[in-house]
Amino acid sequence: MLTLERVTKRFGGLTAVRDVSLEVREGDLLGIIGPNGAGKTTLFNVISGYYRPDAGRVLLAGRDVGGEPPHVICRLGLTRTFQIVKPFGNLSVLDNVMIGALTHLPRVAAARDEARRVIDTCGLGPYAAARARALPVGLRKRLEVARALATRPRLLLLDEVMAGLNPTELGGIVALIRRLHAEGLTLIVIEHIMAAMMRLARRIVVLHHGETIAEGRPDEITRDPRVIDAYLGEEFVLAEA
Amino acid sequence: MDPARRLGPAQIDVVAQLGVSTVLLGGIYALVSVGLTLIFGIMRVVNFAHGEFLMLGMYVAFWAYTLLALDPYVVLFVSIPLFFGIGVLTYVLVMRGVIHASHNVQIFTTVGLSTALQNAALVAWTGDYRTVRPWHSAVVIRALGMAFNLSQVVAFAIAVALTLVLFAFMKWTHTGRVMRATAQDHDAATLMGIDTDKVYRLTFAIGIACVGAAGVLVSPLYAAYPTAGLQFVLLAYVVVVLGGLGDMLGAMLGSLIVAAVEVVGSYFFGVAWKEVFYFVLFIAVLVLRPAGLFGQRGAETLGV
Amino acid sequence: MPALAPGRWVAVALFGIVALVPAGVRDAYLLDSVILILLWGALSAAWNVAGGYAGQVSLGHAAFFGIGAYSAALMTARFQQSPWLGLMLGVALSIVAGGVIGYLSNRLRGPYFALSTIAFSQVLLIVASRWRGFTAGSEGIPVPFRPGFWTLGLGHVAWVYLALGVAVLYYGVAIWLETSRVGYQLAGVREDEDAAEALGIASRRLKVYAVTLSAAMTSVVGTFWAQYVGFVDPFYVFSIDLSVRFALNTIIGGIGTGLGPFLGSLLITSLETYLRATFSGMKTGFAGIYLVIYGTALILVVRFVPEGLTGLAARLRVRSSRAHA
Repeated sequence: MLTLERVTKRFGGLTAVRDVSLEVREGDLLGIIGPNGAGKTTLFNVISGYYRPDAGRVLLAGRDVGGEPPHVICRLGLTRTFQIVKPFGNLSVLDNVMIGALTHLPRVAAARDEARRVIDTCGLGPYAAARARALPVGLRKRLEVARALATRPRLLLLDEVMAGLNPTELGGIVALIRRLHAEGLTLIVIEHIMAAMMRLARRIVVLHHGETIAEGRPDEITRDPRVIDAYLGEEFVLAEA
Repeated sequence: MDPARRLGPAQIDVVAQLGVSTVLLGGIYALVSVGLTLIFGIMRVVNFAHGEFLMLGMYVAFWAYTLLALDPYVVLFVSIPLFFGIGVLTYVLVMRGVIHASHNVQIFTTVGLSTALQNAALVAWTGDYRTVRPWHSAVVIRALGMAFNLSQVVAFAIAVALTLVLFAFMKWTHTGRVMRATAQDHDAATLMGIDTDKVYRLTFAIGIACVGAAGVLVSPLYAAYPTAGLQFVLLAYVVVVLGGLGDMLGAMLGSLIVAAVEVVGSYFFGVAWKEVFYFVLFIAVLVLRPAGLFGQRGAETLGV
Repeated sequence: MPALAPGRWVAVALFGIVALVPAGVRDAYLLDSVILILLWGALSAAWNVAGGYAGQVSLGHAAFFGIGAYSAALMTARFQQSPWLGLMLGVALSIVAGGVIGYLSNRLRGPYFALSTIAFSQVLLIVASRWRGFTAGSEGIPVPFRPGFWTLGLGHVAWVYLALGVAVLYYGVAIWLETSRVGYQLAGVREDEDAAEALGIASRRLKVYAVTLSAAMTSVVGTFWAQYVGFVDPFYVFSIDLSVRFALNTIIGGIGTGLGPFLGSLLITSLETYLRATFSGMKTGFAGIYLVIYGTALILVVRFVPEGLTGLAARLRVRSSRAHA
């Protein structure tokens, strides 16, 4: 469904992503982890169209989408959330999600109904009328997910939706991701916290300095010496389990 | 045209005259612009009311000359602390509350200030053109076959001196370093115990003091009227965008470029069209090199 | 923007009252005020499409106003054609110019965009005021008055209805922007362009459309204004003050709302008319006191009541309903 072939992204002299290749199949739940500055978000930005890759190809359902703008990629069935959440702050939660739904439902009334449904799925029902900017951070992360879901993606990229959540919120969002996956959605999940990812993903890719240093099942990854090296000095992250 | 004639003494004179005119004008533009770029560089605010402080400076010179028979160069010594104070007051009353607000709020705050000051001047002093004609504005200096007004030369000299003093202050004093540190990273500066509110107050006051001084300096050369600041501030925007908003050295180079465009454009196409050249230059730079001719990053689309 | 249902009723009431005014009022001075309030309101509503709904704050909208005013004035005075043709020409030119400004809005943000719009209107000002052979330069153009609808030589009552028609139409555009798919998508772009893109919205194109629509709407009123006032002065029609005034009316009334620009216009135009009348006999320039009040009001409003009058009304309503509950 999504194939990356030796994707590279440079900023001036700095190579943020180098020669990354990936294969995501229908129904996958792929995790991408790596220390801060590993190039995870840059990779998402390339896949979702915010950055043009300097080299390599991004194939979505066989079509090269490298350099296409994000809205085109969204309409091809791939969308994403943002690590630093970007709610439409002055609009209500319902309107936020409805704007996502309007992408495939041109009628406002239909989009509003769809938005209500998605909001309920994501547990945001009670906050539908609240201004997005007034939500606490845990709910804003959910709003990111709800808004993206409303566009009916086939592949959803989640950028650190678990970071900064308390254990209860974390449990809720993990359950939501599991449910979406069970319903057939393909997901790529970026997380800085390894522990949460271990419980969620079946396959994990580890990025370090922009390069893939390991790929495999969670149990393989945790034993991989290169991964341990990469996270050296960040043991607390592993220990948060 | 035969080459011998092209290089004849008359042509060399023209080139020299244009060159010197450019430098003289550029020096004054630099002083007008340097405050604008300083305020933007450190506070991230485009002061749309900058020209009005210049206008006030011109009026201060006018009234001091008319009522007290004080020469603008004498007034300068009073006007610098005066406008520094006006800057502090404006910061405390108007700018402080919006320093962390959105761009749009900041734009409208300074636009509102501009409208209020312009029209306060209109109400107080009417729309008449007021001129200051001290003795030095009538003295013509002739050298190397060129003619210059003494006021113009003195204004240039003082403007350059003040700009250099500001430059040295920013570069070598502790306070200057603190200001630059705040410009680079407001949050880090706060963490390091820098009182950013104080830095902003000082920045705004210095910026206003510069433009107020510029107003006094140009008073023997240009008439004062309520919207007199507009023509200067428009070119200051051009200067500052050319140099890269927030870049002081860039502002000086930008001043020279704008002055050159103006001087050469006026010479070839007539005074009437000179502004067209720098506005076209302005839009071209905004579109092609928005970070300024000497800037590096796309500051205009990022966090600014 | 969530729809303000009570605002709609206020709008219906306001426009309804205006429609009835000519039946009872024959005083030319009062009718003139009504026409100006409507035209200023429509201009501010046009600005609001770009500045409010699309979030692209322009300080150069006078450019489009001037294009509309000049197109019609030149069409009538120089070519003896109908101002309606001038209106269409103005709209066509403003669509082109608006496209350029819209393109700039994709390259530049915040203060950079505002500066570029000022520069744009200044270039037009210089061209209009210096191109003597064609535009009559800084002297301006008197617009000939030829009675008839086709020549826009109308009486006060007809002008009230024409201005009302434009005002209602522009209010309708605002309502459309608050309730339609495009409007919601534009709100998304205004709030966060990156997020809007991720949701499949072609944000750049949408912004260009919004700015272009706003430009064309401004140009239309520019034409009517020139025909109504009967004189086009380049230093007025292309002035920064004029651009600021569009924004000012809108912000004081409530930016990004349908009714806001009209409420702002009502308040500010009335204040201006009153102060001008009161102080016109005094020393020159004193009539400008209203501009001092504006400027100060603008500073205070963006700081303390950024939602403007409509937002203030909504706030008070919430407070009073809480008090009753």
